[in-house]
Amino acid sequence: MNIHNYEKIWLVLSMLLIIGFISTVVYGATAVGIEMVNDEGGTIDSTALDEDDRFSEPRVEKVGEDEYEAYVVARQFIFEPNPIEVPANSTVTFYVTSPDVLHGFEVVGTNANAMVVPGEITELTVEVNEPKEYGILCNEYCGGGHHTMEGKLIVVPEDEFELGDSNDE
Amino acid sequence: MSEQLESGAPTFLDKFPDEAAVVRAALWSSFIALALGAVFGLIQALHRTDVLRLIDSTDYYTVLTAHGVLMVVSFTIFFLVGLFTWATVRSFDRGVESIRYTWTWYGLMVAGTLMAVVAILGGFVPQTDISADVLFTFYAPMQAHPLFYGGLAIFVIGTWLAGADYIWTWRAWAAENPDERIPLQGFMVLTTMLMWYVATIGIAIAVVAFLLPWSLGLFDQINPLLTRTLFWFWGHPVVYFWLMPAYLLWYTVLPTIAGGRLFSDPLGRVVFVLFLLLSTPVGIHHQYVDPGIAEGFKTIAMTNTMFLLLPSLLTAFTVVASVEHGARQRGGTGLLGWLRALPWRNPAFTGMMLAGLMFAAGGFSGMINAGMNINYLVHNTIWVPGHFHLTVGTAVALTLMAATYWLWPQLTNRRLYSRPIGLAQVVIWFVGMGLMSNAMHVQGLFGIPRRTAEPQYEGFDFVASFGSVSELNLQLAIGGTLLFISTMLFVTNIALSAGTPKLSGIGQPLSEPLSTVDDSPEILDNLKLWFGIALVLVVLAYALPLASIIDRGGLLGPGVDPVPMIVEPVAATIEPTLGRLAAAVGSVVP
Amino acid sequence: MVPTMSGENTVREIGHDEFDPKGTLVLILVYFGVLSVMWVFMYFVEFLGNDLTVLV
Repeated sequence: MNIHNYEKIWLVLSMLLIIGFISTVVYGATAVGIEMVNDEGGTIDSTALDEDDRFSEPRVEKVGEDEYEAYVVARQFIFEPNPIEVPANSTVTFYVTSPDVLHGFEVVGTNANAMVVPGEITELTVEVNEPKEYGILCNEYCGGGHHTMEGKLIVVPEDEFELGDSNDE
Repeated sequence: MSEQLESGAPTFLDKFPDEAAVVRAALWSSFIALALGAVFGLIQALHRTDVLRLIDSTDYYTVLTAHGVLMVVSFTIFFLVGLFTWATVRSFDRGVESIRYTWTWYGLMVAGTLMAVVAILGGFVPQTDISADVLFTFYAPMQAHPLFYGGLAIFVIGTWLAGADYIWTWRAWAAENPDERIPLQGFMVLTTMLMWYVATIGIAIAVVAFLLPWSLGLFDQINPLLTRTLFWFWGHPVVYFWLMPAYLLWYTVLPTIAGGRLFSDPLGRVVFVLFLLLSTPVGIHHQYVDPGIAEGFKTIAMTNTMFLLLPSLLTAFTVVASVEHGARQRGGTGLLGWLRALPWRNPAFTGMMLAGLMFAAGGFSGMINAGMNINYLVHNTIWVPGHFHLTVGTAVALTLMAATYWLWPQLTNRRLYSRPIGLAQVVIWFVGMGLMSNAMHVQGLFGIPRRTAEPQYEGFDFVASFGSVSELNLQLAIGGTLLFISTMLFVTNIALSAGTPKLSGIGQPLSEPLSTVDDSPEILDNLKLWFGIALVLVVLAYALPLASIIDRGGLLGPGVDPVPMIVEPVAATIEPTLGRLAAAVGSVVP
Repeated sequence: MVPTMSGENTVREIGHDEFDPKGTLVLILVYFGVLSVMWVFMYFVEFLGNDLTVLV
């Protein structure tokens, strides 16, 4: 099989490109420390979220020094709690699940973007910095009211933050 | 102009009139789906950008389901079976073994399409309980009417039988020509269909074992992650099923139209073998940000996906080199000056070249989509439809339309109604898609979601890092309108071609490759071997993830109730459904 | 320059051994460059420069 020299050059460059792409992603995963949403969030009976301590009352909890957990329910066509309030300069882990259909959990304009699947718990950890308001939207079609499904993530100054603010209603 | 005419050679229609009729029927089915899909596409482009809202936002999802299914199931796959029938018969130079059999699989595909379309369009009619607003991906526990799943199953069975038809022709030919190498087009058809058999295992299990009986009420619960994963088992290789007809045309027809010869037949075969091997064990890259799947499985899917770039990168070289060969044979000179010597006035040529150019751009956004962690940036944003409107929406769609300008005279013995309109049509498509896809990619980077009727929210605004959202919306709407106009020009041009006078001797033989199959090792043609390896790779990529998903959620899920997109209890609708099914089948099988 | 031929004929036959697709090589190298630059931009500026990256 004779392959033209130019084609051999291109074959080598193509392989370099592919290996370059994979290396970049591996660099992101290791040196930067980006983690993919994975199977560690665990499973849940989606018909009985009210029997689960975390999701019967969707809320934010403090779990350590500057560490918070947000238990979020995405359902047709709302996010609970809404808004989600967390203090500035903290690490927040979201646990998101759904009692009905698939949803998306996207903090708008950021890299916090994941699928929500009934029966599974989506776990993702981010670091928030300055006080800021973010929109949250559902980016997986979930029914006729899909386009109305939105929420808010509010990063408040540390001295103004109080637990329980976000689960009043 | 005259290059297509008066060669004196017989056309496909002259040699194989019965087969030409099937090919024309399949292509017409494809074009009808394309025209309908374009109407729905226009409604969406104007609706989501808030330029013009003709429908209720709830109905947007019915429109979106119809657009998706008609475009990427009906338009692409009907064209594929038509083209593959042509390519098989042409390259083996023998008619099909049984024309009744050929019509049968075509009839099944039509019946399946009608069932699914009736189920989808039922969403517009509040008086009926039939509906399937579940989009092209039909993720459970969203539930469609059983007619939708049934139609899909019948359609896929039709494609399986079509594949068997091509294999049948090949085996009959091989029995008479035991020492011959498989002709290139036949090789491409066969490897693509073998890939399809591997790929459709996923959808067949999802639909037949889970979704259809579940929609009929045989059981209530389902494991949504399992059916979603099975969907993507099929959902990624299907994009190569759409793409392979375009590749077949780029490799075997484009060089001839350019006035040249294919640079390398053996490399073309290598490319198709790589697609057979690598198309399927990659589907999990659509699930990079899914819960319930370990990061290791996602990494394996990414590695496979990245290597799947290789056959496309090789194709870019081979196809451009073949075109360059044509240009130089036509007298073109210089390092890049040869580009001017190409037949740019020929809509078939220009359309395929513009499609290839857009595929180069779509290739880039595809590389981003393939990157595992960067998926957080673009997942389920409108960047993704921006990407696939360059690939399936242009590399495939525009190539198929452009190639039709060349192929149609071979199937009808009639000249195309208007070549200038054809040329305008492919250019309008290119401009329209340039605008629309650019706007989609940029909006996606702002986080604007896909599949959303009104991506305008109460609590926040999208922050545009450049341009403005409203400016991009306008771009998207203008682009979508141009694409609609282009589609209508195409369909009208083909329809009016039926009124041009019959000609004879307008056959156009395809040129021989520069580097022929004789230069390649015989093992390339060992389809059993490649099929076997493809199956092994799929098992390696999917056995553990699927086992883990079933282990976590059970075969039928840990208590997820169906969320029907239908209102009435399903049992009441089964009987009329079966009646309609019988009627649909009866009306299309000749 | 190309003579104006609506017949679009072949003016010369070029066989396998006398054809080096050097124009193709140039085009494909340009594509390689564009892909590399765009990848770096997308990954390191658009993605890693973005807010709220999901970390371990």
